[in-house]
Amino acid sequence: MLIGIYGLMAKREPIKLVLSINVVSLGLVLFFIGLAYSPEKDVPIMPTDPVDPLPATLMLTTLVVDVAITSLALAIILRMRRDGS
Amino acid sequence: MIPLMVAFPLLFAFVIVILDTLRAKRTLIKAAFLLGVVLPAWVFLTERGREIVGGWNRAAGIEVGISEINAPFIAGELILFTVVALYSIPYFDFRNKKTPKSLALLLLLHAGLMGAFIAGDFFNFYIYMEIASVSAFALVAFSDEKGSKRAAFKYLILSLLASYLFVFAIGIIYMETGYLNVELVAENALPSRELQAALGIAFASLLLKAGVFPLHGWLPDAHSIAPTPVSAVLSGAVVKAPAYGMILLFSALPPRETFREAVMGLAVASVFFGIAGALLQKDAKRLLAYHTVSQMGYVLLGTASMNFVGAAYYAMAHSLFKGGLFLSVGSLGKKSRKLGEFGYRNAPLMAFSVLMLSLAIGGVSPLIGSYAKGVISSGLGGTWKWAVTAGTVGTLVSFTKLNYHLSKGETGDLAPIEKLSALVLALATLCAGLYLGAEPKLSDASYIFAAVLVFFALKFSGVLEREVRGEAKDVGKDVNVLVAVFVTFMLGVLLIQWP
Repeated sequence: MLIGIYGLMAKREPIKLVLSINVVSLGLVLFFIGLAYSPEKDVPIMPTDPVDPLPATLMLTTLVVDVAITSLALAIILRMRRDGS
Repeated sequence: MIPLMVAFPLLFAFVIVILDTLRAKRTLIKAAFLLGVVLPAWVFLTERGREIVGGWNRAAGIEVGISEINAPFIAGELILFTVVALYSIPYFDFRNKKTPKSLALLLLLHAGLMGAFIAGDFFNFYIYMEIASVSAFALVAFSDEKGSKRAAFKYLILSLLASYLFVFAIGIIYMETGYLNVELVAENALPSRELQAALGIAFASLLLKAGVFPLHGWLPDAHSIAPTPVSAVLSGAVVKAPAYGMILLFSALPPRETFREAVMGLAVASVFFGIAGALLQKDAKRLLAYHTVSQMGYVLLGTASMNFVGAAYYAMAHSLFKGGLFLSVGSLGKKSRKLGEFGYRNAPLMAFSVLMLSLAIGGVSPLIGSYAKGVISSGLGGTWKWAVTAGTVGTLVSFTKLNYHLSKGETGDLAPIEKLSALVLALATLCAGLYLGAEPKLSDASYIFAAVLVFFALKFSGVLEREVRGEAKDVGKDVNVLVAVFVTFMLGVLLIQWP
C-alpha cells in the first residue's frame, strides 16, 4: 500500500497514477487475506472448525470495484488525450 | 421492505440501458427513469424501523434501517433528486447518444446514495458510497466542457485512494472487534491503539470524500464543471454520504475529547475557508462549490459535537438550498458563468427563488437553514456558538455578492421547468422550515444588514477584484500535491490521538 501511495505522490503520468492506485488496492487485498490466514483450520464448507470466510468474500467485492474503476480511469485518460489536455 | 429503496433505482437503471440498446421509444425511457426516481419515495413513506436483509442473524446479515438520524438525509436526497430528475430530462434532451446513459448513471447514483443512507454496517456503506462515487466520476466526465475529463480524473484518483484507506480501516475494526455491524462494533469495542488508528484513518478518508477544508482540492473543479443537474446532485447529496459515514463511525467508536476538539476546530476552519474562497471567485458555479466546503464544515461541527440529529438536519437543509441554487444559477448562466455577465433582471420569478434560497443558505428564519443552524448550535458550548453566528454573516456577505451581480445582468429564454424547479426547491426550504417550527427573529435582520455593509466595504476596498488562479495545466502534478496533503493530514490525525 505504501509503495502505491508513494507512486501517487511522485509520478506525473496519468497511467502510472492508475497503476499506483492498483498497487494500493492489491496491498489492501493482501491485508485482508492475511487477516483471515489460519493454516490449521478447516475450509468453510460444511465445517467443524472453519476459517473466517468473511474477509475473503469482502475482498471479492473490492476486486470487482477495482476492475470497474480501472476501466473507467483508463477511459477517462483516453478522453483526456483526445481533448488535448 | 426497506431494501427495495435501493432495488428500484438499480433495476430501472438497467432497464434504461436495455431499452436504449433495443432502440425503444423515448417516452418509455423517460417513464422508466421517473419510476426509478419516485418509487423509493413511496417505500420511504410507508416503511420505518430496522430490518436485516434475508432474515439472517445480526452478526452475519446486512442490517438496514430508517431511524431518526438518517431520515432527514433520505428525505433531503429524495426531494432534491425528484426535482433534479424533472429538470434533467429536458436538460439532456436526447441531444446525442449520451442521454440514456446519463439517465442510467443518475439512477445508479440515486441507488448508491439510498443504499449508503440506509446502511447499518460499514462494509455495506462503503460499497454503496462507491457505487454513488463511480457514477459521479462518469457523470462529471460526460460534461462537454473543457477540462471536465481532468477534473473527473483528479476526483477519481483521490476519492479512490480515500476509499481504499477507508476499507483498510474497516479491516482493522473487523480484526479488533470481529463485527462489521455498527451497533455490534459499538457494543464490543474495547479501547485500544489499533481502534484509535482505525478511527483516525477512516475519519481522514471520509473527510476527503466529503471535501472538508484541507482536503477539498478536488471539489471546486468537479462540482463546477459537471452538467448543471449533476452539479446539484453532487453538491447536494453525494458529499452527504461520507458525512453520514462519519456519523456511523463516531457512533461506533466514540472519539476522545482532544480529538473531538481538534475536529471542531477543523470544521470552523472549513466554514471560514469556504467563505473566503467563495468571496474571491468570479465564476458563479465555483462560488457555489466553495460554499459546499463551507457548509460541510457545519455538518462536521454537528457530528463532532456528537449532535448527530443536528448534523442530519443541516445536511437535509443543505441538500435543498444548494441543489436549488445550482439549478437556478446553472439555468440563468447557460452562455457564460462569469459573475456580472448574466443575471435575473428580466426573470422576476427566478429572482424571487434565488433570493429566497440565498436567505435560506445564510440561515435566515423562518427558512429551514435557521432551524438547522439552531439545532447545531444548541449542541455547542459557549465560544463555538460565536463561530456559527460569524459563519452566518460571512455566508450572507458572499451571497450578497452573488445577488449583487445577478441583479445587474440579464438572461436568455428560460424553459418553464427551469423556473419551476428553482421555485419548488425554494418553497421546499420555506415549508420545511415552517413545518419544523422556525420562527422569524429580529436578529436576522441585523445579520443581513451587517452582511450588506461588509460586502460594500469589501467592494470599495478592492479585495473582491483580485483573482486567485489555481489552475495548473498538469493533472499529474495536482494529484501528487493533493495526495501528499492527504497523507500528511492523515499522519497528523494519527498523531493527535497519541496518548
